[in-house]
Amino acid sequence: MTDHRPLRGPATDKAARRTGAVRISGLSKRYAMGGKAMTVLDDINLSIRPGEFVSIVGPSGCGKSTLLRLIVGLDTDYDGEIRLDDTRVAGTGLERGLVFQDHRLFPWMTVAKNVEVALLNQKLPRDRRERVISEHLALVGLSDFGDAYPHQLSGGMAQRAAIARALANEPKVLALDEPLGALDALTRVKVQAELQRIWMEAGTTMIMVTHDVDEALFLGDRVVVMSPRPGRIARIVDVDLPHPRDRASPLLHRLKDEILAELTREPREDDGTLVTFPGRPRG
Amino acid sequence: MKRLASFALALAFPALVLGWWEWESRQGLGHAYAFAPLEQIARSFLEMLADGRLALHAGASLQRALTALLIGGTIGIVAGVATGLSRVLDRTASPLITVMRQVPILGWLPLVALWFGNGDGAKLLLVSLSAFYPTVLNTQKGMQAIEQRYAEVGRLYGFTRSQSLRMIAWPSALPLIFTGISQALAFAWIATIGVELLFSASAGLGTEMMAAQVAARTDIVLVCVACVGVMGFTLNQLFALLRTRLLRWQPATAK
Amino acid sequence: MPMPSRGPAPSRLPAMAIRIAPIAGILILWEIAALSGIWPRQVLVPLEQVGATLLALASDGELARHLSASLYRLASGFLVGSVIGVSTGAAMALSRNVHRLLWPTFSCVRQVPVIAFIPLLILFFDVEDSFKIVVVAMASFFPSALATHDAVRDIPESHREVARLYRMPTAPFLVRLILPATVPQVLTGLRLGLTRGWLSLVAAELLAADSGLGQMMEMGRQLFQIDVVLAGVFVTGLIGFLLDNSMVRVERHLSRWRTA
Ligand SMILES: Nc1ncnc2c1ncn2[C@@H]1O[C@H](COP(=O)(O)OP(=O)(O)OP(=O)(O)O)[C@@H](O)[C@H]1O
Ligand SMILES: [Mg+2]
Repeated sequence: MTDHRPLRGPATDKAARRTGAVRISGLSKRYAMGGKAMTVLDDINLSIRPGEFVSIVGPSGCGKSTLLRLIVGLDTDYDGEIRLDDTRVAGTGLERGLVFQDHRLFPWMTVAKNVEVALLNQKLPRDRRERVISEHLALVGLSDFGDAYPHQLSGGMAQRAAIARALANEPKVLALDEPLGALDALTRVKVQAELQRIWMEAGTTMIMVTHDVDEALFLGDRVVVMSPRPGRIARIVDVDLPHPRDRASPLLHRLKDEILAELTREPREDDGTLVTFPGRPRG
Repeated sequence: MKRLASFALALAFPALVLGWWEWESRQGLGHAYAFAPLEQIARSFLEMLADGRLALHAGASLQRALTALLIGGTIGIVAGVATGLSRVLDRTASPLITVMRQVPILGWLPLVALWFGNGDGAKLLLVSLSAFYPTVLNTQKGMQAIEQRYAEVGRLYGFTRSQSLRMIAWPSALPLIFTGISQALAFAWIATIGVELLFSASAGLGTEMMAAQVAARTDIVLVCVACVGVMGFTLNQLFALLRTRLLRWQPATAK
Repeated sequence: MPMPSRGPAPSRLPAMAIRIAPIAGILILWEIAALSGIWPRQVLVPLEQVGATLLALASDGELARHLSASLYRLASGFLVGSVIGVSTGAAMALSRNVHRLLWPTFSCVRQVPVIAFIPLLILFFDVEDSFKIVVVAMASFFPSALATHDAVRDIPESHREVARLYRMPTAPFLVRLILPATVPQVLTGLRLGLTRGWLSLVAAELLAADSGLGQMMEMGRQLFQIDVVLAGVFVTGLIGFLLDNSMVRVERHLSRWRTA
């Protein structure tokens, strides 16, 4: 399906795509912990254009995973609003996909069967389904591993298989929760490039959480920087560079310094937090 | 050299026991009654092999154990799936199973004999019961321990209840179900020998052993004991092989 | 299965009621079926008759005689079997030569269900008490030996190295290091041994005995006294439950340090 489509320029047909917009407004999420409520996300406002790639970075525990789970509808208990193309999110749906931090392939199914999982509830004729599966395996470079079981794959291959599964039913929005977190630096760079290519080919709206600022900048049209306790959006950084990008671009380096500064900023007094970042003396 | 030494040591103990046995058997008639000479044991073995007696009894026991495994195991898996999925059924059936299980399997024997006589049906009932317990308990445990992580994947792709059952609950319970079946196999084999010892009616290794005991034929008893051991071990190994084949998707370390 | 021991006290009562309801239901059905007279009394007796028989057996000392005979055999057999089992298991795990000597034979004989040895043991020991004690001892020997062997073998090498480093003498090495590290696993093996011992004892008593719960049930069967048989089943189950339950409690008590 995607093979014969010409590569899209980043700016041009993203505007032409009209579905896949996510609008988050006034979103708050509380968890009850030991009898008292703890605010994990506080007043999140974010508007994502169709086909945009948004990266989210932030310290551990600031609610990034929680935000993604809310967007895909695995958790529906929240205040505020999440809308996908003007419909309020209330539960999971095939138009929203998620790549988990751990790949979550079913260990009892082959890779191909795992990809098929995404297509089970879509009315596709059998031969078409087979084709979609093999196309997506090819997309992530796993054509030869359709019959392998997940435990026979390397970590990076499993993560790519999970991405293939998530893409197979062509969701309008794909959330990715540290999809490359478990990979070594080299594989990581390769899969990043692959992810960029896939995104450019498929034109899906992607929201990716990562701990790696380089990765966030390399892939994201915008980078959302979050701060913890409660989780808030501290800053949104525009990355005004066309895709595919050059890692050596000076702009990326400048933005990286800015974001790192934001992330390692001394917590304000009124935060009531005792956490400091390693390597920096508490003042 | 080292291998040889450990091999020699491994043989030393049984050799010692056999030597002592042989020595005892030569201490006059009174002793030979219990300690059948080794040569006699070997001769009985060959004889039983030749006239088909061993095959007949071993076959009868094997058939009984496997039939009961099929019956008890199937009911156990079905009941385990049902109680694993439904809280109501779990609450109703589990206490009953727990209470019943306190009675050692052969303790039911007099009652079963009064109700159903001591024919093949009664034997099969008891052996099936012994196979039922481990399958139902393990299946239930497997079905209840569905990993939330995989259930979320199902929700993401809009799985129906039957899809979740077939593609998540059942396969993730399978390793435990296999554990249950392999326990059931061991229990069924023990129970088979037990009921045959106690209900001496038709063919079977237990029946033959009991008859040999009454006739004071230690040699025949020993041949049967060895046969019981070898068969139990072989069944176990064959099942382990089957399990490895069917659970190919498990990484080797998880087995 | 252990008694419900978790959860706060107030919620226990309804939970207990829910657990008991299905059992009570079966008993009521039994009673109705027995009183309806569809089946003859030799087949289905009303529960109060089983209770009355149990009381009668208890008051005329008959039950006590059988029970004490069974429990005596179980206790002495278990004691012998588990002591030999634990020491054999530990010896096989600690000494390479003992392991070489005994392990192959041990793993072979272990494949044979203990009740298959009953006819052989009758030939050797006749049907006296000693025969039943040996049956119980054998039944508890294998699980306790295996569990001890595995437990000792699983002690991390680093523990032993520490002991070697400090030149710990053998006795303190066993008491201070091996013992605490292996207690939980060994106890599980002992519990299994006790359960197996009880199972094999009932089988042995059914087969050949002049006293004991198994014999009581067997006599009841021969005389078509289903009430006696049922009373026997009840007491056998109760003993099995109490044995298992108390072992679980001991295990939990002695393994506190694991979780605490
Ligand atoms: N089910 C839950 N119940 C209670 N608290 C929760 C639950 N899930 C998450 N939390 C809390 O919410 C906060 C945010 O969790 P979340 O997993 O979203 O963080 P994160 O930003 O993804 O962190 P990381 O980068 O380490 O993955 C944490 O403080 C966590 O303790
Ligand atoms: Mg996270």
